[in-house]
Amino acid sequence: MKRQNGTDPAKSSVQRKHKSPKRFFAEIGMLLKEYTDQGYLRLSKLQKFFYKILAFFSKIPAAIVGFFKNIGRYIKNGAVSLVNEFKDIGRTFAQGDWKTKTSFFVMGFGNIARGQVLRGLLFLLFEIVFIVYMITAGGYWLSMLPSLGKQGPTQAYNEILDTYTTTYNDNSFKILLYGVLTIFFIVAFIYTWRLNVKQNKLAEQFLKSGKKLSSDKDDLRSMVDENFYKTLLALPLTGILVFTVMPIVFMILVAFTNYDGAHNGFSNNLFTWVGLDNFNTLLSWQSAGGGQSYSATFGEILAWTLIWAFLATFTNYFLGMFVAMMINKKGIRLKKMWRTILVMTVAIPQFISLLYVSKMFARNGLINLTLKDTLHWISQPLPFWEDPTWARVSVILINVWIGIPYLMLITTGILMNIPADLYESARIDGANAWQQYTKITLPYMLFITGPYLLTSFTGNMNNFNVIYLLTGGAPTNSAASGAAGSVGYTDLLITWLFKITTGAESQYYLASVVGIMVFVVVALISLVVYNVLPSIKNEEDFQ
Amino acid sequence: MASVKLTNVKKIYDKNVVAVHDFNLEIKDKEFVVFVGPSGCGKSTTLRMIAGLEEISEGTVEIDGEVVNDLQPKDRGIAMVFQNYALYPHMSVYDNIAFSLRLKKVPEDVIYEKVTKAAETLGITEYLMRKPRALSGGQRQRVAIGRAMVRDSKVFLMDEPLSNLDAKLRNQMRAEIILLRQKLDTTFIYVTHDQTEAMTLADRIVIMKDGLIMQVGSPDEVFDMPDNLFVAEFIGAPKMNIVKTELLCENGKYYVTPFGAKIPVDGDKGEILAKKNIKAGPVLLGVRPEHIDLAKEGENAIPCTLVVDEMMGSELHLHVDAEDDGAVSRLIVRVPTIDIGKEERKALVVGAKLYITFSGKAMHLFDPETEKNLLV
Amino acid sequence: MSKMKKQHHMGLRALNRVSNSAIYTLLVIISIIWLIPFVFILLQSFRVENTYQVGYVIPHQWGFDNYIKLWNSDFKRWYLNTFIIALAAAVFQTIIVLCMSYTLSRFRFRMRNSLMRFMLILGMFPGMLTMIILYRVLADLGLTQANAVPGLILVSVASSGMGYYVSKGFFDTIPKSLDEAARVDGATRLQVLTKIILPLSKPIVIYTILTAFMGPWGDYVFARYVAFGTSAGYNVAVGMYSWLTNDQIDTMYTTFCAGGVIVALPVTILFLCLQKYYVEGVTGGAVKG
Repeated sequence: MKRQNGTDPAKSSVQRKHKSPKRFFAEIGMLLKEYTDQGYLRLSKLQKFFYKILAFFSKIPAAIVGFFKNIGRYIKNGAVSLVNEFKDIGRTFAQGDWKTKTSFFVMGFGNIARGQVLRGLLFLLFEIVFIVYMITAGGYWLSMLPSLGKQGPTQAYNEILDTYTTTYNDNSFKILLYGVLTIFFIVAFIYTWRLNVKQNKLAEQFLKSGKKLSSDKDDLRSMVDENFYKTLLALPLTGILVFTVMPIVFMILVAFTNYDGAHNGFSNNLFTWVGLDNFNTLLSWQSAGGGQSYSATFGEILAWTLIWAFLATFTNYFLGMFVAMMINKKGIRLKKMWRTILVMTVAIPQFISLLYVSKMFARNGLINLTLKDTLHWISQPLPFWEDPTWARVSVILINVWIGIPYLMLITTGILMNIPADLYESARIDGANAWQQYTKITLPYMLFITGPYLLTSFTGNMNNFNVIYLLTGGAPTNSAASGAAGSVGYTDLLITWLFKITTGAESQYYLASVVGIMVFVVVALISLVVYNVLPSIKNEEDFQ
Repeated sequence: MASVKLTNVKKIYDKNVVAVHDFNLEIKDKEFVVFVGPSGCGKSTTLRMIAGLEEISEGTVEIDGEVVNDLQPKDRGIAMVFQNYALYPHMSVYDNIAFSLRLKKVPEDVIYEKVTKAAETLGITEYLMRKPRALSGGQRQRVAIGRAMVRDSKVFLMDEPLSNLDAKLRNQMRAEIILLRQKLDTTFIYVTHDQTEAMTLADRIVIMKDGLIMQVGSPDEVFDMPDNLFVAEFIGAPKMNIVKTELLCENGKYYVTPFGAKIPVDGDKGEILAKKNIKAGPVLLGVRPEHIDLAKEGENAIPCTLVVDEMMGSELHLHVDAEDDGAVSRLIVRVPTIDIGKEERKALVVGAKLYITFSGKAMHLFDPETEKNLLV
Repeated sequence: MSKMKKQHHMGLRALNRVSNSAIYTLLVIISIIWLIPFVFILLQSFRVENTYQVGYVIPHQWGFDNYIKLWNSDFKRWYLNTFIIALAAAVFQTIIVLCMSYTLSRFRFRMRNSLMRFMLILGMFPGMLTMIILYRVLADLGLTQANAVPGLILVSVASSGMGYYVSKGFFDTIPKSLDEAARVDGATRLQVLTKIILPLSKPIVIYTILTAFMGPWGDYVFARYVAFGTSAGYNVAVGMYSWLTNDQIDTMYTTFCAGGVIVALPVTILFLCLQKYYVEGVTGGAVKG
């Protein structure tokens, strides 16, 4: 009999349950040292859980080292290719004919001389615009960039008018803005110049090997064919560059200045570079202006932001899924009607629904007045927006009202896509409704919606509308409020940032620092989650 | 109607993944060439490079003597049938077929002529007003072919056109492609992973593996004279039995010794071995299942045990285990049902002891190191 | 034996009935919760006797006074402003988003992956941060306060390329072999887009137009920043928000409700008509990430 060999399945599973703590962790440790499938499969459920956590954290040091190695490699590769670029430019000049050589100074000359008039003229036009801009304006902005302006506004007595007139001189804001733009422009010029050199080289090679260059007509035609993507991307990318990239660069730079209401760089004082001072202010424990330190305020708000994002995401997710499953259940009628009713909160602009609900729950709003004056159930109004805990809970609950419909719509589609045979086979295996949910529905949903959950989490971290329209951050946290404006218990980092910029002192530099911190937090969370998620697959897999 | 020439064509993805190595092939005018190989062998990539749908990393592709590397697909004079048909879902069958002509600004009455003629040839006239989703798989396939037909192209490219059809329909469409080829009389390049399709359709077969050409030849050549072990195993179904054994050379005559038997290498083949001055030593012996016969116990009969017995209708596929020095090999024997009597059939139960034999004519011998055919 | 089976069967059915009625009850409760605020807004917009918040819902005295008041206020201007912005956004945002997503779905060019990663990182910066500078840039261009409308259109359209994910996800589901077949058939890339892809993309085009059109109706923060106290440049959100500030709420509360009805009605009807496409877009977008 085989059983005598001690392979009784019942017995061994009993043994497994009573592993001594020492053995419990020793097995995990062994697996961490050297992974084998068999070793993993033999762990108990709890061990697997610990193993996964430990394995994740044990990877972090290597990941950090890898990250810096990668950076090192990028720098090295970058340097090597830069050197190669220079070599290539030199070689092109040395070996090129006179057309190519002239093109080094008169961009597009080679193109025109070789018959590609359109390209050549564009190059030439760009060069002229660049030179004119640099002489008339760019040079000035660039030269002022290190100091952000030398002369603030001056007042002089005007005898004729008998008043003081103010002369505005340098403008730090414009210097920073146009300085950044000028740098963008210079980079673009260098790139274009390099392109011009490269094209000359290629054209020479082409002609030498007896091939024909593409004509202007070919170039135009390729704009809707091979190079159609360039045509399509030109407008969107320009928009993003000017209205997103440039402002972000600018605002990152502001974090290193003392730009605020009292130093607006124009009508009162100039602002200037202050290095890392602002980061020190935000991260140090020194008390700011009598209240608690910025770092304490920042910490409190960050903690609530994370709690809020977590709760907002997962309450919506599970409740939305629950509602979707109820409506989807076989035998439930009027499916379309239920969905349409829920979807009303998506259709109606949030500022109407949220503002109305906010006023409904206000101290003298509909709910309180009804309970107090009409029904006489309470003598004091309920502190929906006055008590920190009440406010936080209310915000999350009302967010459920707003959020469930989205999740219901999303999950409905996915739920219907889960192959029915999965459920059939689970039922044959004897799974009840709850087991079917936890073993099939939930893993499937989590797998498919993993990326969505991440974006929804970070989206909630920056969910300005819900907080601002519902509470405006209230109730006020008087300990945290100080020089940086008033801070409330429901304030998220993003609403705090808004309050800083619109507050009495308009500490733009502080807002920038907070913005950068928000970016760091979001980026960190995304990085970790992306590395854990199973469903970040190669996008080509879908095609 | 044109020739196609590929010279040192290479496809490299992401700077280091080589999908196609140094592909050289000259396809004659009006030839029907089939690229065949397991998935990932680079056959489709090669076809798509000819079509202009993939960039050519290195080398040149010429159609009708003109280098087409830098030409857009539409300017190469090709027509193509895709694996999943790629019919435009929002257009009727008529519009699908007419699409390329309309882009060329052909007058509508000429388009009508051509489309209806193609539809008639393919027997889809009654579906011209339907949308693709209202068609069956076979009908969609016909529309896809029709769309390629009206282009009057120099080269007709087909990328696994039958692999989405069920077995029965596939056989039927295969026959129709042969007919189509007679009607169109143009150059065909056809990609498939199915060796039967390759054998039945091709003038010449190009067998590929891991981006390399393993052999180019007519169906007869690749079947009778496979260049290497891979081709030998790939062509023919069920696949060739391969046994590791020893080659003996006694008095200028060669023998192989599988499973303790000693079978002479037949006249011609022996001469080739002698001419190439092949030494005795380990060798891979290949015998096709249909070349193995059931035998009575005897001198060169190999004893074996029946493991699986597959009744295919016209023939039996017997999977048998034979032993050689303690090592068991699984062989497949293909026997026409008609050759087996009722009593014999009854004796073929799992576990039955059988004897098999094969003649020296049917042998293929491969070098165990290089896997090259020793008889070529 | 057969009796037992039958009983069991009955039991299952009864259980199903119980659970279904539980679900119906829950759904009715949920529906009430979801609809109540909207019903309340509607009812209170017809209240004549008081203009401030009260402790009852059904008006004692019905009338159109609030709507008349609305007509006589700046609301018309705000509504027109918002409508223009929404219309422009629907046209231009759709074009930009479709260009971006089609390109990223269909072309494999050298910088493609870096571009997508770069935009992902850009998206991690809070958009609020750029408000100050965008405001100053618009101010320099003279597009603030009374001229806020073109300014808001410019800003909302300019960066809309970042929101390509959903429609790229849709384009990814259209087989690439269709493009290839069309290119072999003689179509240029432009023709592939106009003759093959766009006709097949009706759901996502409608989705994009719909979301672009709905966005401006709820746009508050930046709109307030740009209009900066000049009523002529307000959109509905900024204007109506000012009615709910402490000094105005007691006279304007019911007018706000009436305004809410006027704003929500067309948008909601439009949305409900095109719900199908919205659902397709949202689902596809979430699945593809």
